[in-house]
Amino acid sequence: MGEGKSEVLQGTLDLMVLKTLYAMGPLHGFGIARRIEQISDGVLDLNEGTVYTALLRLQQQGWIASKWGTSENNRKARFYSITRQGAKQLERETENWERVAGVMDRVLKLERQG
Amino acid sequence: MRQLRMLWARVRGQALQAREDDVLDEEIRQHIALLESRYMAQGMRVQDAARAARRQFGNVTALKERQRAQRGILSPGEWWRDVRFGMRMLAKRPISSAAVVLALALGIGLNSAVFTFVNALLLRPPQGVSGTNKLVEVWLHNPKASGVEAYLPFDYPDYVYYRDHTNSLEGLMAFDGDGEDAIWNHGGTGEILHAHFVSGNLFSLLGLKAVAGRMLSTDDDSIDAPRQVVVLSYPFWKQKLSGNRDVIGKTLMLDGKAFTVVGVAPASFTGLMVGTDPDFWAPLTAMLRFHPDDQNRFTDRDTSWLIVAGKMRQAGGSKSVQAEMQVLAKQVYLERGSKGNFQNALVFPLTMVPGPLRVYVGAFAGGLLLVFVLVLVIACTNAASLLLARATGRAREMATRSALGAGRARLVRQMLVESLLLAGIAGAAGVGIAWVTSRMLMVLKPGNIPISLSIPMDWRVVLFTAAISVAAGVVFGLAPALRASAVRAAVVLKDDSPAGSPKKSRLRSTLVVAQMAVCVVLLAGAALCVRSLLNANAINAGFDTHHIALATLDPGALGYTPAKIDDFYARLLNRVEHLPGVDSASYAQFLPLGTAHSVTFVGSRLDKDPNATMADVFRVEPGFFRTMGIPLRGRDLTQTEADADTPNAVLINETLAQRMWPGENPIGKHFALGGEKAMSEVIGVVKNGKYRTLGEAPAAAVFRGQLSPARTLVVRTAGDSRTLLSEIHREVPTVDPLMAATDVQTIEQYMALPLFPARTVGWLLGVSGILAVVMTAIGLFGVVAYMVSQRTHEIGVRMALGARRSDVMKMVMGQGLRLTMIGLGIGLTAALGASRLLSPLLYGIGANDPVTMTVVAIGLATISLTACYLPARKAMNVDPSVALRYE
Repeated sequence: MGEGKSEVLQGTLDLMVLKTLYAMGPLHGFGIARRIEQISDGVLDLNEGTVYTALLRLQQQGWIASKWGTSENNRKARFYSITRQGAKQLERETENWERVAGVMDRVLKLERQG
Repeated sequence: MRQLRMLWARVRGQALQAREDDVLDEEIRQHIALLESRYMAQGMRVQDAARAARRQFGNVTALKERQRAQRGILSPGEWWRDVRFGMRMLAKRPISSAAVVLALALGIGLNSAVFTFVNALLLRPPQGVSGTNKLVEVWLHNPKASGVEAYLPFDYPDYVYYRDHTNSLEGLMAFDGDGEDAIWNHGGTGEILHAHFVSGNLFSLLGLKAVAGRMLSTDDDSIDAPRQVVVLSYPFWKQKLSGNRDVIGKTLMLDGKAFTVVGVAPASFTGLMVGTDPDFWAPLTAMLRFHPDDQNRFTDRDTSWLIVAGKMRQAGGSKSVQAEMQVLAKQVYLERGSKGNFQNALVFPLTMVPGPLRVYVGAFAGGLLLVFVLVLVIACTNAASLLLARATGRAREMATRSALGAGRARLVRQMLVESLLLAGIAGAAGVGIAWVTSRMLMVLKPGNIPISLSIPMDWRVVLFTAAISVAAGVVFGLAPALRASAVRAAVVLKDDSPAGSPKKSRLRSTLVVAQMAVCVVLLAGAALCVRSLLNANAINAGFDTHHIALATLDPGALGYTPAKIDDFYARLLNRVEHLPGVDSASYAQFLPLGTAHSVTFVGSRLDKDPNATMADVFRVEPGFFRTMGIPLRGRDLTQTEADADTPNAVLINETLAQRMWPGENPIGKHFALGGEKAMSEVIGVVKNGKYRTLGEAPAAAVFRGQLSPARTLVVRTAGDSRTLLSEIHREVPTVDPLMAATDVQTIEQYMALPLFPARTVGWLLGVSGILAVVMTAIGLFGVVAYMVSQRTHEIGVRMALGARRSDVMKMVMGQGLRLTMIGLGIGLTAALGASRLLSPLLYGIGANDPVTMTVVAIGLATISLTACYLPARKAMNVDPSVALRYE
């Protein structure tokens, strides 16, 4: 694997996919992978197949829905979009993430004492 | 909620598996193709681009696997494997599996059979009618009274007021709850038809379209000018008029009057109430034509005779209808002034049993279900017991599976699939058993209860059966499944001993004890009822219950004068008495133990007597006592006395004689009958009999003359009374071609009605009791046999060390009998409590009859002895050398 890249943290891929769909509107799997790659600036070591596992999971929760459409290369592809429930979940997860991230931030900033 | 949705998604995923696989393949292919083309655009060579794309995408096979696992709760192959494996496990021991399935099927089937009746009577809306979800019944209710007595049908003026003032109902219809018999005169003969009088709006509100002609309309049913028209029922039209369309517009002579046939009702419609199986429908107000003497039926506010039903404007609006009915009830009350009590109007959903009576049907069905659920519980314990035994035998299999990575849930699932398989097969068989049983229950119903009931196996019955099958499967399967799955692989696999832990056999022993206890309760109830049935059959009704034929007649409907009626009866009696084999014949207004009763005050003086007592009154003709075989002291009535306008001469029974003149000779004494203007003289005393129910305490009765036009003919023969029936049928039109006899039956058939409650309960409990005993015996046998097989090694050691065969026998039997005794003890205690519920149904036997209880206890103990003896004998014959080598 490439050096200087980070593994995707357990459980964060779902949140990334959800936020991407929220921000970008309906996308197919490839589009989502591209978007995440673009934002992560090549820092993230994403196994792109796992996007589909995340999509299935989210779909089963009812947070995203899928519809057939035509992709850039003019082929039939499944387009995923966020549902209302998904948007709510995203809000909850975002808050949660920020809380955790805040705590992590503070923990990591602890100065060595004594 | 979310878990549910995930589960659903997974279940659905299962069904869509194949399609989803294809879609995913396509998505992956496209994704990789897009990655490739991107790399090639960056200048990579084809092979390098492909490799890079694949690397970036990750392991495709692993992804597919993951997706599949996430999508389906288990892969179809795996699921199918569970079922097939389960089938194999059941087929491995076919006899015990079949026994369990049969027991379960009987338990499930009996419950479904009862439910079939509940469904037909209480749940299914009337058939052949549209918009059933909008139909309601309305009953008047006296808030001061309680129970069924508080409910009243409508009188005609009240019905009209409600009908004309309701807004929430599209219309209010009414029909005569009793129905009427009418004589149809055709071709010089008379035939009894069942008539049903309905309001003119009934058919249009129910959305019924005529098969031929038209249905009744509101114009037919005008109170000022009722039309003499009828709509024929489909079966009557087909069978009696050979489905001829020409009958429309023709007239039928009914009770001597001409009625025009306007149409034929659809075959599917049989009425709105159980037991209304009319040959024709006529407008309500046309009743005046049938009963010219009953004019005030339509003006009287105290004659309650109309069952009233309404069609709501929209489904589910019964609350607003109820509110409106209450308002109307208040208006009616105010309009009537202070006359009479306030009567509320209550709304019920419309089913085949009138609203107020549903409680009784429900209670009866509930009682039956209670008994049959006990049978099912016993069957379930048997099944649980079997599965437990197998689970123990499979401990190693479970341990191996869990060592190979099966989770506990996976093991529980495997076991539950097996028990649900058992339950599923049993449920399917149960539907068949329910079908047969419900038809057998209909046979128990005496022929003279005029109820025809269709008992279809519709989706509700199937759903109910499926539900109790699954419930039973989970109930008997869960404990063994949890037990079996709680394996500690390391312990079981390491330890080479047979894996019957003491904990497991304790659970099985508990099951046997529970089974035995339930069995005692059922069997005690069954034995009490069967004994009481025998008692009831032996009860002296006070008259002969053999060699007598009966027929009812009503020339009054033909509008004859009293003289003509007397003449008819005299000529008929003369002819019947001269039939071959007839000893004697006579008339009564109605017989004891039937559905009709009459009561009067009996006192020592004509004006108000504070010491007056109540007595049943029977109106009879001379020769009645001889014909019915009722012993008599003194003399019978003469024809002159019976025909006289006043009861100058009467007979009384022993109870009344004892009450009025204790220790004296009552013959020649005088007393006053309620409502009469002259004293009556006692000319004879008859032996006591039963008058209302077979179980009643001795009751007072008076026998007098002065019969009404409707009578029952009683005929005594030396031979078989059945041969008389067709001759009586033939004689009636010979005497008067316009007349027809109804309810022509033998006295044995007549007695089916008073014997009905005890007979039904006796049969049902008897069958349940036998089932319970057989299942319990099998259960006990299974446990003891299993115990012996587990202890073969130990028994071998004991015998090798010098134990005698009788010691082994004692040891094995002792264990089985200990369980029996505990079960018997608990069961008898419970039975003493439960049998008290039965006491109102029992004749001539106490609810806690010690003899019955003792016999039940001894009988069950004997059966368990046998069930233990067979495996014990096997244990006794254990060859120590074989048993020791075997391990």
